[in-house]
Amino acid sequence: MNVLIVEDEKALTTELEIFLANCNYICETCYDGTSASEKISTNLYDFILIDLGLPDYEGLDLLKEAKKYNPEAACIILTARAEVYDRIKGLDLGADDYLAKPFSLLELQSRMHAITRRKFGLKNSVVVLGEFLIDLTNRTIAHSETLINTITKKEFDLVAYLILHKNRTLTRSQLSEHIWGSIVNDDYDSNYIDAHIKNIRKKLNAYAPPDWLETVRGLGYRISINN
Amino acid sequence: MRLGTKLTLFNTISKLVIVVLFVLLLPSLIRNINQNYTDNWLRSQKDKVLKLVKGPGIKNYIQNGEGYGSYNALLKEEYVSLEVDSVDTDIDTIVNEKRLVEGDTIQYRILSHTFKTGKTNYLLEIGKSVDTINETAAPLQSIAFEILLGMVLLTILADQIYSTYVLRPLGLIIKSKLIGHKFPHHTPYKKVWTTTSDFEYLDISIHKMIQTIESTFQKEREFISNASHELMTPISILQSKIENMFEREDIIDEVKVRLLEMQKILNRLKSITKTLLLISQIENDQFLKEDKVSLAILIHEVYDEISIRLQEKNITCEIDIPEEWQLAGANKFLLFNLFFNLINNAVKYNKEGGEIKITGQLENKTFVVNIADTGIGISTEQLPHVFNRFKKFSQSLQQDSFGLGLPIVKSIADFHHIKIEISSEPGIGSTFKLIFPVELMEV
Repeated sequence: MNVLIVEDEKALTTELEIFLANCNYICETCYDGTSASEKISTNLYDFILIDLGLPDYEGLDLLKEAKKYNPEAACIILTARAEVYDRIKGLDLGADDYLAKPFSLLELQSRMHAITRRKFGLKNSVVVLGEFLIDLTNRTIAHSETLINTITKKEFDLVAYLILHKNRTLTRSQLSEHIWGSIVNDDYDSNYIDAHIKNIRKKLNAYAPPDWLETVRGLGYRISINN
Repeated sequence: MRLGTKLTLFNTISKLVIVVLFVLLLPSLIRNINQNYTDNWLRSQKDKVLKLVKGPGIKNYIQNGEGYGSYNALLKEEYVSLEVDSVDTDIDTIVNEKRLVEGDTIQYRILSHTFKTGKTNYLLEIGKSVDTINETAAPLQSIAFEILLGMVLLTILADQIYSTYVLRPLGLIIKSKLIGHKFPHHTPYKKVWTTTSDFEYLDISIHKMIQTIESTFQKEREFISNASHELMTPISILQSKIENMFEREDIIDEVKVRLLEMQKILNRLKSITKTLLLISQIENDQFLKEDKVSLAILIHEVYDEISIRLQEKNITCEIDIPEEWQLAGANKFLLFNLFFNLINNAVKYNKEGGEIKITGQLENKTFVVNIADTGIGISTEQLPHVFNRFKKFSQSLQQDSFGLGLPIVKSIADFHHIKIEISSEPGIGSTFKLIFPVELMEV
């Protein structure tokens, strides 16, 4: 899939490009609004990532142009100016999602993934892990025919996030940013990911050992899926 | 007491004192004036008599040594007597004495004067009845008193009207510029009309002071907002770089552990910046208040988020909030953060196996939510500072918080006009009491 990254901060653009290329996206970059405007009107993209704080261009205008020339493209706004009105305006103008800087690259990928699933109406999203069936659409975990209903929302979020980024070690910081990112509080180190993982293992262990949920010593957690 | 009242009171009292003094002095004053007048009159009468005696001669009045007397026949108000004085003394006095005139004893003011004609001494007496002298005193006194009283009342009234008029601008300045003045204040400066230069000066000075304070406030808010915004981009770059590096296969685990540590520190920077940005956004009124919120549901949502922390510390949490309690015109995201931080603190500062009680009751027809814990508590000296930014008290907890939890709570509460009262006993626990304003309650 083709992605256009419009971001005036070159260092960030480079990182976005590296990351998205690793996820098999084809990336084009531009550092200012004028060249972005040109690209938007001539090429077709699946995703357009727009930084609202461009030096030469009103980011929201770029969004309008994107909606006009690239109606199929999903637009994600990236901004450091996390003004509430900006956000509402951006979503009103047809942005598909909105990420406030600083964001995790994994979070960006998961948002892009969600948009793709929505766009293509992917229904079949059941993942088989050992003896467990994990339904990402209906948000359920089942063991053979039995639905395991002791899993909480947070616990499912963790499993789903690990599945989305399968075969990748996710750190505690990345996981806790995903499930507690919107809460503003003054703890910075007391993440309770370990406790959550312990609970998930305990609950699943009653049915079968969830070996696929691996602890990567000293680094974090990973779900390996080979297919 | 207000200045106007004080002035009126002083005016009235001082004038009354003067009136009373004057009224008390009046009788003796009148008596004095009367007496002076009478004495002068007596002397002029004496001069007339002496002239008569020198001119036509004493023989016209006194013959054969028999005295001469004359008085007003009916009322005996005045009399003149002239007689030979056997004793050779020199008398020239004016005194009050009694005289018997035709059977009536009357008090007179009498001028006595001796003079010599030829070889004979004569004594002249001119008298005026004291009653006659004093008969004007009473009416004079009462007229003076009435006029005075009228004038005093008139001046009090005039004073009152004038001082009300002249103090009106001061009242206006106090009412519009000082009472209920809240920062930040966005209404433009309105000059208070006055001709009194002092008030004009006061008005301008207060305005300038408020302007200075407000611009300082504004600058501080802008600075925090800009600084945290500007920090977001570099943090974002660093975070992306660390995340990408973490994925590289040519990096050994030992280095990855280092990267993880960097990520943790970056998270700390991110948390602080995000929190400061949130506070500045709240203070700059950048949040809408349009949500309807059920308190019970909201607190249960917070509970769900926090339950893992309760479980870790084996803390029991009891929630008793009436289900029908609804808020309107609130911001759900902010209220969620308010309760999250308060309940999170109740967990963080609690002891192993402690308790948290979240209860709601109606007080004075308004919602009151109490969050009580069995934690380490807050000492009386610390209590006034708990809402200060970056203030940390407990040494043992310095590692995992940066002292912005309660400042967030305070900003959100102020934004919603929620009052917070804290009561705490060190070693026993703290209770945070949230008093919701009536305007937030859904009817």
